[in-house]
Amino acid sequence: MANGALSRLPLAYVGQRLVLMLVTLWAVITLTFFLMHAVPGGPFVSEKMLAPEIEAALNAKYGLDEPIWRQYLNYLGSVITFDLGPSFKYPGMSVNEMIAEGLPVTAQTGLLAVLCVVALGVPLGVAAALNRNRWPDTAVMTIATIGAAIPSYVIATVCLYIFALRLGWVPAFGLDDWRGYFLPVFALSGFWLSFIARLTRSSLLETLDQDYMTTARAKGLKRRKILLKHGLRNSLIPVVTIMGPVIANLLTGSFVIEQIFALPGIGRHFVLSITNRDYTAIMGITIFYAAFLMLMIFIVDMLYVWLDPRIDYRRRA
Amino acid sequence: MTELTPTLAPLDDPRWALLEREDDAAEIIAAPVRTYWQDVRARLAQNKPAMAGLIFIILLVLAAIFGPMLSPHSYRAQNLSLANLPPILKTTEVGGAEERQLVFVNTGNLNLYGVDEGGHVTGLLPGGRKDMINRQTIWQVGGAEVVLDYSSLPPVLAQEGGPGLSPGPTKWNRTYLFGTDQLGRDVLVRQLYGARISLMVAFVATLVNFVIGVTYGGLSGYLGGKVDLVMMRIVEIISTIPLTLYVILMMVVLQSGLISVMLAIGTVFWVDMARIVRGQILTLKSQDYVAAARTMGAPTRWIMAKHLLPNTIGPILVTATMLIPSAIFIESFMSFIGLGVTPPQASWGTLTSDAVETLRRYPHQLFFPATAISLTMFAFNFLGDGLRDALDPRLRQ
Repeated sequence: MANGALSRLPLAYVGQRLVLMLVTLWAVITLTFFLMHAVPGGPFVSEKMLAPEIEAALNAKYGLDEPIWRQYLNYLGSVITFDLGPSFKYPGMSVNEMIAEGLPVTAQTGLLAVLCVVALGVPLGVAAALNRNRWPDTAVMTIATIGAAIPSYVIATVCLYIFALRLGWVPAFGLDDWRGYFLPVFALSGFWLSFIARLTRSSLLETLDQDYMTTARAKGLKRRKILLKHGLRNSLIPVVTIMGPVIANLLTGSFVIEQIFALPGIGRHFVLSITNRDYTAIMGITIFYAAFLMLMIFIVDMLYVWLDPRIDYRRRA
Repeated sequence: MTELTPTLAPLDDPRWALLEREDDAAEIIAAPVRTYWQDVRARLAQNKPAMAGLIFIILLVLAAIFGPMLSPHSYRAQNLSLANLPPILKTTEVGGAEERQLVFVNTGNLNLYGVDEGGHVTGLLPGGRKDMINRQTIWQVGGAEVVLDYSSLPPVLAQEGGPGLSPGPTKWNRTYLFGTDQLGRDVLVRQLYGARISLMVAFVATLVNFVIGVTYGGLSGYLGGKVDLVMMRIVEIISTIPLTLYVILMMVVLQSGLISVMLAIGTVFWVDMARIVRGQILTLKSQDYVAAARTMGAPTRWIMAKHLLPNTIGPILVTATMLIPSAIFIESFMSFIGLGVTPPQASWGTLTSDAVETLRRYPHQLFFPATAISLTMFAFNFLGDGLRDALDPRLRQ
């Protein structure tokens, strides 16, 4: 970190942010726990009429016969030790195992989607800004407007129908073939790709108007250097700020995408456990998601210091 | 300095004649005097995409309210014999010149329907004899046998002997303008009814968000100090929680249903509104007129309602307009993963997910709900952008 980013990021501030993150996580766990316990009927009610003794035995096995504050403390204790408990509906499988099973798939598609958003969205936005009011600008803005208006599941199903069922270019489900990644990643990144392209365009347009850009031109710097070092670097700041929430939304968007393309990721487990009313799995996956997303936002905020020398957390800490 | 004299002034040219100067001309305000809101309206009226969006939304709301009343079909009445009809019927003429009859083959469910000259579906052709072994179905039409052979795909309609078949005209389905769904319900009515539900969810949820957000943000900004600090810390915590997850959790707890969806979406997305209102109130409350009102002994509630909130209405309006499409989005997302309204109620989300089930055979069923959602998104986004530009022209890019 050549520009003294570390000195502008005092430990006190990082600590404060970490504490806030832990408080938020505690709030998430508490809220999730009590929301799930507010569901009318116990977790075994929906099943075939159970004999009272069996239900009592099941309740005892999962600790549901204890007072609620006791259950809460138990749950909190096990979550702190990274144990999200057993699944109610798949005996012998723990929520941890479910997440471990689904995470590679979700992470792969999610990461590819993030890459796709950045690697396509930013250049498209730059091309639009540099050709303001000419055809590349119009084309990019039209695509971006359409991409922002069509829900991801519609993009996914339409693409599935055209490219997989009609043309047969890509497999309709699964990730066994490398071509299987195309559609899920495209459907997942569509909305945010449009968003980032629009954001990059407007941000770069604003930057190009700044006085320091004129100064750089007046100094006789090369066009490419002006654009990369002065223009792009400054205009990417809002793009980086939004990346935390973008990652969050890409991951929650994967619920539907994984469902449509039958990918065995966390999102599919989550939707399945919702339909099965598998309360511990719903709780566990929610908490995992929340923790993961908060971590992402935290990392992005820290990287932000390195990118923008004007940010100085010393004053705020 | 030498005086500059026009050397070649063509003084006899009438264009150079001196204008008569009126004394009070400088005082006249040439443009009409307009209030801020008249300005906003004029700027909005000039923004074509925004006006197109507004007109679309008005038409959509009217159609959603009155459409289902005007239609002869009901959104819940099923007619399984007329399931999965398309909006456009490719007919075949059977029976030759004497007993001419138009029929339509539904290649998805291998049924034969009678169609009249106007394009009305008269019903399932009776008497189909199913020959499972040879994979064909046989009807008696106009004294001759018509055979639908589905042993190879696509199914072929053929006739041996008799007057023969000839391709008939392609007709609009006049009985069911948008076709029928997999339970034989009219897609048009369900579409309009879905618009009713989707828009209602969006409007009510936005209203709930609006009330919570404005109250919370207003109080936080106006009271300031420690209260503000604590309230904003709470907002900070809420905003790091992925909200879609919470809508899902709320739906699991409240059980599916219309009111649950409205409650779940309505109570979760007020954070942005609260932040914006707070920011506005913070800058406004140090204005002189607020100090004047307080000096005259106006109570807090009065100052909030009469002085502060009316002045923040611009950003609030823009945020609310942008909230509506995201509420529609979230609702359809919820319905799509099976957490939305309960059948037979329909929203655009449930219509889309129903259509996805039959995508392989009847891809056209996806077209209507998907287009409806997308067009509505366009409309609200354009209107929101237009409103923002109209309310604050400096922000225009």
